Amino acid sequence: MLKQLLTTIAITGALVTTQPAFAASPPNMLVIGTNLTGIRTLDPAQNNARTVSELISNLYDNLVQLSSDDLKTLKPMLATQWSVSPDGKIITLTLRDDAVFQSGNKVTAEDAAWSIQRVIKMGQVGSTDVALWGFTPDNVEKLVRAKDEHTLEIELPQTVNTDLVLYSLAGSSIGIVDKKTVLSHEANADFGGAWLSANSAGSGPFSLAQWRPNDVAIFNAQPKYWGGKPAMARVVARHIPESGNLRLQLEAGDVDVGQYVASGDLDALATKKDMVIENVPGLGFYYIALNQKDPDLQKPKVREAFQHAFDWKAISGNIMRYTGFPWQSMIPRGMIGAPEQADVRYDYDPAKAKQLLAEAGYPNGLKKVLNPSGAATLPFAEALQASARAAGLDLDLVPGEFTPAFRERKFEVLLGNSGARLPDPFAVATQYAFNPDNSDEARLGSYYLWRTGMKMDDLNSLIDQSMKERDTAKRTDIFKKMDGIYADMAAPLVIFFQRTDPYVMRANVKGYHGHTTWSTRWHDVTKE
Amino acid sequence: MASADLTSKQESSRHSQAGGFADAAPHPLTSLLRRLTGRVVAVVTTLLGLLFLTFSMGRLLPADPVLSITGPEVSKEVYDRVYNELGLGQPIWMQFLSYVGKIATGDLGTSATTGQPILTDLMMIFPATIELAIIAMIIGAIIGIPLGVTAAVRRGTIIDHIARIIALAGHSIPIFWTGLMALFVFYAKLKLVGASGRIDVFYEGLVTPMTGFLLIDAAIQQQWEVFQNAVGHIILPASILGYYSVAYISRMSRSFMLEQLSQEYIITARAKGLGTRKVVWRHAFRNIRVQLLTILALTFGGLLEGAVLIETVFGWPGLGQYLTRGLQMNDMNVVMGSVLTIGAVFLTINILSDFLYRILDPRTR
Repeated sequence: MLKQLLTTIAITGALVTTQPAFAASPPNMLVIGTNLTGIRTLDPAQNNARTVSELISNLYDNLVQLSSDDLKTLKPMLATQWSVSPDGKIITLTLRDDAVFQSGNKVTAEDAAWSIQRVIKMGQVGSTDVALWGFTPDNVEKLVRAKDEHTLEIELPQTVNTDLVLYSLAGSSIGIVDKKTVLSHEANADFGGAWLSANSAGSGPFSLAQWRPNDVAIFNAQPKYWGGKPAMARVVARHIPESGNLRLQLEAGDVDVGQYVASGDLDALATKKDMVIENVPGLGFYYIALNQKDPDLQKPKVREAFQHAFDWKAISGNIMRYTGFPWQSMIPRGMIGAPEQADVRYDYDPAKAKQLLAEAGYPNGLKKVLNPSGAATLPFAEALQASARAAGLDLDLVPGEFTPAFRERKFEVLLGNSGARLPDPFAVATQYAFNPDNSDEARLGSYYLWRTGMKMDDLNSLIDQSMKERDTAKRTDIFKKMDGIYADMAAPLVIFFQRTDPYVMRANVKGYHGHTTWSTRWHDVTKE
Repeated sequence: MASADLTSKQESSRHSQAGGFADAAPHPLTSLLRRLTGRVVAVVTTLLGLLFLTFSMGRLLPADPVLSITGPEVSKEVYDRVYNELGLGQPIWMQFLSYVGKIATGDLGTSATTGQPILTDLMMIFPATIELAIIAMIIGAIIGIPLGVTAAVRRGTIIDHIARIIALAGHSIPIFWTGLMALFVFYAKLKLVGASGRIDVFYEGLVTPMTGFLLIDAAIQQQWEVFQNAVGHIILPASILGYYSVAYISRMSRSFMLEQLSQEYIITARAKGLGTRKVVWRHAFRNIRVQLLTILALTFGGLLEGAVLIETVFGWPGLGQYLTRGLQMNDMNVVMGSVLTIGAVFLTINILSDFLYRILDPRTR
């Protein structure tokens, strides 16, 4: 019997060892290990999240683009040049004439106009940025029009800084789609949305070869791409949700680029010579939100106490090393109007926090419920809970997914993080400081200041000004003023860290750069 | 006359006896139908109960299915539209009834996270899990049963101790950890097996899905390189899953065998001078195979559960990972569709093992 057992084991062993060698990824193929969870469609108009933005940005060209190393200078893409009418009302873009869709159809201004109209008419999340300028399903057809085969006119429904409009055109959701091909697959007046969820019809450097949700996405290079054939013949984005597994595959060379790697694995990979970790700054923050519908938290001194109750220095060096850096201004670092340095506004000072609480009428401390917005912010919340205790704040930590409660203003204290795609402080200010109507009925869940229940008319009007103003110097002043008001008002959103997204790459991968607005492009990627 | 009367009485008595007997035990076909109807009612009730429980628990989760589709930074208009599209404005009981009504027509709904009908998703991913579980069970059975039997026969010897250690480790070491360690050794260090997914990305698209079972599809299409690569990918997760079933199967085999070995017929057989191999495999083993069948059926169900974790570690695109993601994203159609599938498989296995039980053990008929 023992013999039988050993024979069985030997057969199993032989079966395994006769496998062909499991080779590293070939030199003309880029393998990205990522998390494909939650990508339900590859239609640009229906997306604006991080991973899917990267995939879409390589299937579809935009009219203009922003490179990862310069978020201020608009660069040509399908549009070779653009001009703004003297009154700032009309943007005219001239399209290149050598761009073709993967179907072989030429890219025309009609395709570009229809793509923008489609995004607005569908009204999905992809429309979020461009709808800000006042386009509606009713007016978009009239305002966004093809003047001739290569000329696109965009008339603005209201006074807006045209740079902002052009920035929004560089977002992945405004990828230009092949009107004829998409319409031939339209069903139930869905603008071809169902078909585009698992197919591509763009003029980008890659086309979609295979898509299995939550498993794998395979892209083939377009040999006739107007910008030249990409060096990578194929790019594969594979769903590898387990960080330890991803790390092993990066080390073995089966995976070239790793996304969403856990901090412990990042620490280990950082010590390897053949690995490079690029920490890409994001346009969002880690913050503590204090609900102003709660009478205790309404008191400015209590909000100030929270500013000094968090020992952020203790975690900045460990759990936040790759996911954020200390930052306490509402204007992201590097943007116009941002301070040179913004990590000294709130120091951890439990004695001062205690004193502030006492002055607010809580000499024996204050007890509140603390929710993380989701699993990603749980370690941050645990650190806050521990350090706040010494400051007299007894925070009862209840873990779970509390973003919905935040949107409904049903929370006391919440720890969250955010992201934005428009590379301008206006986008962040809208998210963090805008609230035109503080009533419950308004249900303005996309504005954080509404979520926390505070309204500041001064901020509203400054944000409005920043959207309309065309002079950069004046806009810079507006944002500085806005930041000053935010710092002085003891805002109910206490910002501690600016978000960063770590990308791990094998050292032989060149030309892959994570993008702050998530439009990472693979066209120039090579492997040495 | 008297004798004629007697005869007719005897006959009528025989009739009545026969009639009485027929009342007590109906025609075998009627009995089978009655049993089948009972089974169907039990299966439907169990599945409904399972669905109701899952549905209620899903509603208690502090998560928002709308945001799992739209992302958190969504405008009020889009949020409201998706909210209405999902029917979340209706009372919970109406949502549940409408869901059950749809299931009755074969519609399991659409996944909020993959955008595809749940049935399409399940048809794509379930074969991956079944393939994994079947190979794991084969590994578990061909190692577990001989190991358990040997441990019983050689009670107290080194083999018995080894079997006990294997069982103990299988029960106490988390499968997640074992998976990562095995990957580290066999994939990263020894480079013997593939890492993530069912196949290396370079082989994607070479085999046209026919049955959904990659090994079978590759064999049918004579794509032997793909077949080998697929074996290299499945062998590790299947072995780890199989190991956890070895622990259970060997422990149970040992216990069943020990019970048989102390029976009088075995002592008699041994007293008659029959060799150990014959005593164990021809006599004792015949009597434990029915019990083993039940254990294997239970193990298969357990393997489907175990796949939830192992699929995450190995990036295996199967039901386990599908369910886990559905839970994380609060995609209730995915969760309920998966739970329903697992429940249905469990019940089918139970029914099948019950029937096999009757075939193998005449006493239970």
